[in-house]
Parts: sequence; structure tokens; C-alpha cells
Amino acid sequence: MALPRLTRSLTGLLLETSSVIHHRAFSVSVVTAAIQKMTRVRVVDNSSLGNTPYHRPPRVIHVYTKNGVGKVGDKVLLAIKGQKKKALIVGHKMPGDRMNPRFDSNNVVLIEDNGNPTGTRIKVPIPTHLRKMEGDYSKVLAIASSFV
Amino acid sequence: MPPGLTQFYFLFLQGKKLVTNKVTQLRDTLNLLSCSPAQFVGSIRTLKTTTWFEEHLTEDNQQYMRKTAAEEYRRQTAEKLNPLKDEPWQRHEWAEGSRRVGLVAVKLGMAPIWTKTGERHVVTMLQVQDCHVLKSVSKEEFDGHTAALIVGGKNISPFYRSEKEMEMFRNAGVPPKQKVTTFKVTDNALIKPGTPLYAAHFRPGQFVDVTAKSIGKGFQGVMKRWGFKGQPASHGQTKTHRRPGASGPGGDPAKVFKGKKMPGMMGNIYITAYGLKIWRVNTKYNVLYVNGSVPGHRNCLVKVRDTVLPTRSSTLLNPPFPTYFTEEEGDLDEDLYDDNLFIHTEPSLTLS
Amino acid sequence: MAACTKGLDRFGLSLRFLRTQQLQHERFLSTSLSRLSPVDTTEPPKFTPPPRPVIIDKTQDAASQRRFLSPEFIPPRQRTEPLKFAIERIDMIRRRKVLNIPEFYVGSILAVTMADPNASGKINRFVGICIQRGGKGLGATFVLRNIIDNQGVEICYELYSPRIQKIEVLKLEKRLDDNLMYLRDALPEYSTVDPDMKPVPLPTTGEVPVNKTKVKMRPKPWSKRWERPKFKIQGILFDLCLTPRRMEHAQKWAQPWLEYDMLKEYDTTKLEEEILSEVEREMSK
Repeated sequence: MALPRLTRSLTGLLLETSSVIHHRAFSVSVVTAAIQKMTRVRVVDNSSLGNTPYHRPPRVIHVYTKNGVGKVGDKVLLAIKGQKKKALIVGHKMPGDRMNPRFDSNNVVLIEDNGNPTGTRIKVPIPTHLRKMEGDYSKVLAIASSFV
Repeated sequence: MPPGLTQFYFLFLQGKKLVTNKVTQLRDTLNLLSCSPAQFVGSIRTLKTTTWFEEHLTEDNQQYMRKTAAEEYRRQTAEKLNPLKDEPWQRHEWAEGSRRVGLVAVKLGMAPIWTKTGERHVVTMLQVQDCHVLKSVSKEEFDGHTAALIVGGKNISPFYRSEKEMEMFRNAGVPPKQKVTTFKVTDNALIKPGTPLYAAHFRPGQFVDVTAKSIGKGFQGVMKRWGFKGQPASHGQTKTHRRPGASGPGGDPAKVFKGKKMPGMMGNIYITAYGLKIWRVNTKYNVLYVNGSVPGHRNCLVKVRDTVLPTRSSTLLNPPFPTYFTEEEGDLDEDLYDDNLFIHTEPSLTLS
Repeated sequence: MAACTKGLDRFGLSLRFLRTQQLQHERFLSTSLSRLSPVDTTEPPKFTPPPRPVIIDKTQDAASQRRFLSPEFIPPRQRTEPLKFAIERIDMIRRRKVLNIPEFYVGSILAVTMADPNASGKINRFVGICIQRGGKGLGATFVLRNIIDNQGVEICYELYSPRIQKIEVLKLEKRLDDNLMYLRDALPEYSTVDPDMKPVPLPTTGEVPVNKTKVKMRPKPWSKRWERPKFKIQGILFDLCLTPRRMEHAQKWAQPWLEYDMLKEYDTTKLEEEILSEVEREMSK
């Protein structure tokens, strides 16, 4: 989600100077199921694969759950920069249980097949209930800097 | 009640019953009451009178009837609060495999509840309003296998019930009830008619089954009633979006099997929710807090009984058998809580 | 000198007149020069009026003088028995006696400490601006929003959950709307709250301040069409983001007859009075 954010902030600046009303080039629909195939996600770790700009945003092409809906702690397959990569969902826009945080963007951390994260640091806050989830997320939690 | 008025009252009630065509009877009732002229049109047909209790009474009489009925109710409920005083029935001990009576309650609404570990569950609040035992039917009379107890729920006005229905209530000495159900019971759990039943009959930690009439949805199509998928909205469908589609195999049976899922009246049938845990019992207001949801709308009458599920039978607890009597086991706390339940007077949780 | 004496005569006359007035109306304060200055041949000195006396009632705190009923006590318009609400209110008051739930409105800045089995130290503290208060009875919730490390986070807390250990109001204020969900589409500066913010004391007058800021929005599309009249939003600067033509087009979805619909009226003033007195009575026990 780096590129759209950039354009939005730029247009925000533009707004100050000119009164041209800018609209995004793609439509945004209401949040329904959390993360499913074809959702555009935001990679939040500091891996090179997630942060180098590309003309297409990273998209989910498969969700590793029984139904195709991914919540926090589920693994997904992303298509980034023309290659496939597994990732772990660490936050989504859809409201969940009470007392659990809801993020303004669908956040994802790139992961290898054995569960090791690709990057070395995560700046964005991570929900604490990830600790209780089944699955070995200790390495991802170790590189996280702040929790919510 | 002055004798003349009683006569009048009961004759009047007689007149409200379904009267078969006997011209003499008709003439008698006609002499006593002024029935509407539409009644004696046909010759051989049953007819119902269309008067209500206050149509032919003067204002004063109506108010008097209402007041006396209310006073009688209060007297009856007050007296029968001590069933053990006058000729109590034999109380047996709980034995393996004995079933005890249930209750009739009113569904008040739902509320959230928290456990000591911080998990949130929802409960339905069921209030036991004026639940009395109306009649005990022994094994021989009922069906030869089990005895039964007829129990009634909420009090209602006596003026809109027929004489036959009122008979049972009069024998038990209780005001007429809105819901009357039977509970199949073992012989050692029979209770004297007229005994009030309270919410403390159930204890927290126990499991119950709740039966009630589900909310009526009227005539519904096959998608809502049975969950069929219907047909696509576009791509050439001609006037077919919510229809059932095929109704069975083809030429071999050449018929539609009985019980085929089709559109029809949905809801307003008795549904039972099994294995619901009781989290809390409020003895002051007679409210049961039952886990999860219960069929029926708000303020509907439900039938609550001990679970039939073998894994959740209440052999572990000592429930009051045959029922809870205020005189013997009085002085219960105002609120009885389950062990895992977080009580709001305790300090906030510190999970560790 | 003649001019002076003429002036003096007039002055003397006016003085006498005013003095009589003063004798008649003792309490009448005035900043009139001539009254209070003594009769002088020279020019009267510059008179500075005494400051208006400000009565600070130290016996009662400003906050306690204001009677506030939390919105989750008001029962919704349903066919439920009032007994159910009464029983729930008993539980709510029991919880309030243990945990102090302060008065707050949508738009106030709160800090909530929660017991979290998964967090280090078992305690989780979150600071944010309240954007919505929903639910009735024990299930009442409020949503706090903040932006941490350029990431917007919202948490929906249950007011009566036993996991909540402390709720502090860092800044008590109201906004122009009851629902600030449009902050999701506003510029991030309006939703950022400093996590280490110190509590801001209320001004001495007992009223809750209303923050009349109008918020600047990001470019459209937004998560909801906030310009439509059904949301009745006062707190957005529409002039910067929408042309007048678009505003008129949005008015097409206006339903002006709803304002006159008598069946939608739900007058809660009497209910509120009763419930407020009941709650105050129980809390003081």
C-alpha cells in the first residue's frame, strides 16, 4: 500500500495549493471478509522484497485456511514483484473481537516456508493475541518492536 | 361473590361454550341473555356466542368482577406458598435415574457475562413468574409407563377462558395460567397440586433443556426456510432466482417423495435447545441466567427442564428433589453464582 | 478660571445629585468617575474600577455539580420488561463501585489499562480519542483511535468487562458530532494522540468544552459518503474537498420528512431523570 499512500499524501499537498479535487484511480468497497484472494496488502517489515517499489501492489493469491478468509495469524501466499512469497497476516481492516485492535490497513509480514521472517525489524504495532495463536510465531514476535 | 351474580357468571360462561343445536337449550340461554340475532339462523350447525364477559354487565359489575378476581388471585398465591403445612405429600429421596419436574419461565432478554479468565459469553434471562403445579397424573392414568405433572406458567385473567379449562385451575386452587405443560416424571418426584415452583429449583452449574415456540416467520420461500442456494441473478435466468429447482429424481420413482423441502409456514413450532448451562440464579426476582440463546421472542413462555444429554446430567450436583421449598431450604443468598463466573463486586481481573 | 469654576459648579451639582442617588441605592456599583472621587478642585485621579468579584464555591467541585448519566443506562425503545433493565442496572452499578468509570464524551482523550494474558507484564495501556460510544446495558462499548508509528489503530473496549483495570480521562471535551468515524478518512494529524500525554485539567467553569474544529479530509473516495445528510456531520470542512455542485448533489439523499415523523420520537427526559436519581442513590450507598 506504499504507492497509493504516496499519491494520496502528494495530492493532499496539492490540495493546499490548488483547488483541484483528486480522486483515486481505483474504487474502494466496504470491508467485508478480512483478507481473501486478490486483496492488496501492505508489507510492514523491512525486507527488500517488501519495500522496493513495483508497478503493482502486492496481492494475495491464496489463503491457507479452510475457508478462503484470512484473519490475524493466518498464512497467505503473496504475489510480489512477479514472484510468489508466503506471508503472515498481522492486522486487518475488518473489526474482530472486542478488546482486539483493528488496523487501518491490511498488514502482512513476509515469511519463509519454515516460518522464519524475511525482514529483520517490524516498526508497525502488532496485536498481542498473536502470541496465543497456534503455530510457531515466536520468531516474528521477536522482531516486532511494539505491541498493541 | 353474591349468589345471584355467581349463577349469572357461570351460566354466562356456559353460554360461551360451543353449543350444539338443541333448540331448547338455545331458548333457555336466550331467555337469560340477550344473544346476538345471528346465532339462531341455521338449524344443524354448532354455533359460538360472540359475547365477551363484560358485554352484558354494568360498569359497576365489571369493576367488581375484576377486583374480586384480583383479590382471589392474591389470596390463592399467598395461601399456597406453604404447601408443606396442609397435608403435604410424601417426599422421597433422589434415586439413580429419577427425573424431577421442570419450570415454565418468561424469556426476558439477553445480557453479556464474563468468566474469571476474562472470556465473554452471552446469557438469556428467564424469569419464573407464578409457576404452579396444577395436577399430578399417576403412571396408570397417563400412559402406563411414566407419571406426569402438569405445570402452569404466568397468571392471566379468568374472563377469557372457558369453563372446561378453568376446572383444572379451580381444583388446584390457583389462578388460571397462560401456558400449561406436562413434565414426564418418575413416581418419587410427584408433587401436590398447588405447589409453587421457584427459580431456585435449578442451581448454577447445572445443564437444562429449554423448549419454546420459535418466532413465526409466516409463509416463507425455500431459500429462507431450508437454505437452498437459488439461482444466479443474471446470465440469462428467466424469472428464476429463488425457486427450488428440481424436486427429485426422474421417471423411475415418477413421484415427489414425502417430506420434500418446499415453501411453507416457517417458525411458530416448538424447538428445544439442549444442554444449556445455568450460570446464575437470582432468588429475589426468580431469574435464571441460561447460557446462549433460547428459541422464542422476548416475553414468550418457555419450558425449562433438566437435560436429557447423558454427558451433562446433573448427577454431580445435589439438586433440590422433588423441588425447592422455601420453608425448608429458605435463606438462600439473593444471587447464586457458578464457580467460573466473574461477579461484578469483585475487583478487576489480573490475569497471570 | 471662569471656565474652571463653571465646570466645577456643574460638577458640584452633579456630585450632589449622584451622592443622593448613592444614598438611596447603596448596592448599586458603578464605575462612574464622579461618584467615587472626592470633591477636588484639581482634576480627579484616574479611577480604576475594582475587579468584578468572582465567586468560587470551594465547597463543591465543578465536576460534581454537573449531573451526568452515561448513555448506556438509558434503555432502548423495545418491548422488553423494565425489570430486565433494572436487573442489568444493578449489575452495572456493582461494577461501577469497583471500577471508576469517569464521565466522558465522544471526542475526549482516554487512556485504558487492560489485563492482557498475552502482553508482557500482563498489562496493556492504550491512549486514544473516543470516536464512538455504542451499546446499552452491560454490553456498552466505546472505540478509541490513535495513530502509532504511522499506523492507525482502533480498539473497541467493553465498558463493563472485568479485564479493564483503569480508565483515565486525559482530556474531557465534546465535539460537534456524536460519531467521529470520519476521522478514518481525515488527515492523520487529527487522530494522533501522544501516548505520554499528561491529563489536562478542566477549566474552572463546570461546563464541558466543545471543540469546534472542522477536520480536513483526505481525497475522496472515503469509507462512507460523509457529505450525505443522513450522517448529519458538522465537523468536516467540506469547502476544501467538495465543490458546491457535489454538495447539492448529496442533498438529493436528504429525507426532510424524517424530522417530522412522530413515530420516531423517543422522549427520554423522564426516564433519564428517574434513572439518574436511582443511579446516584445507589452509588452513594
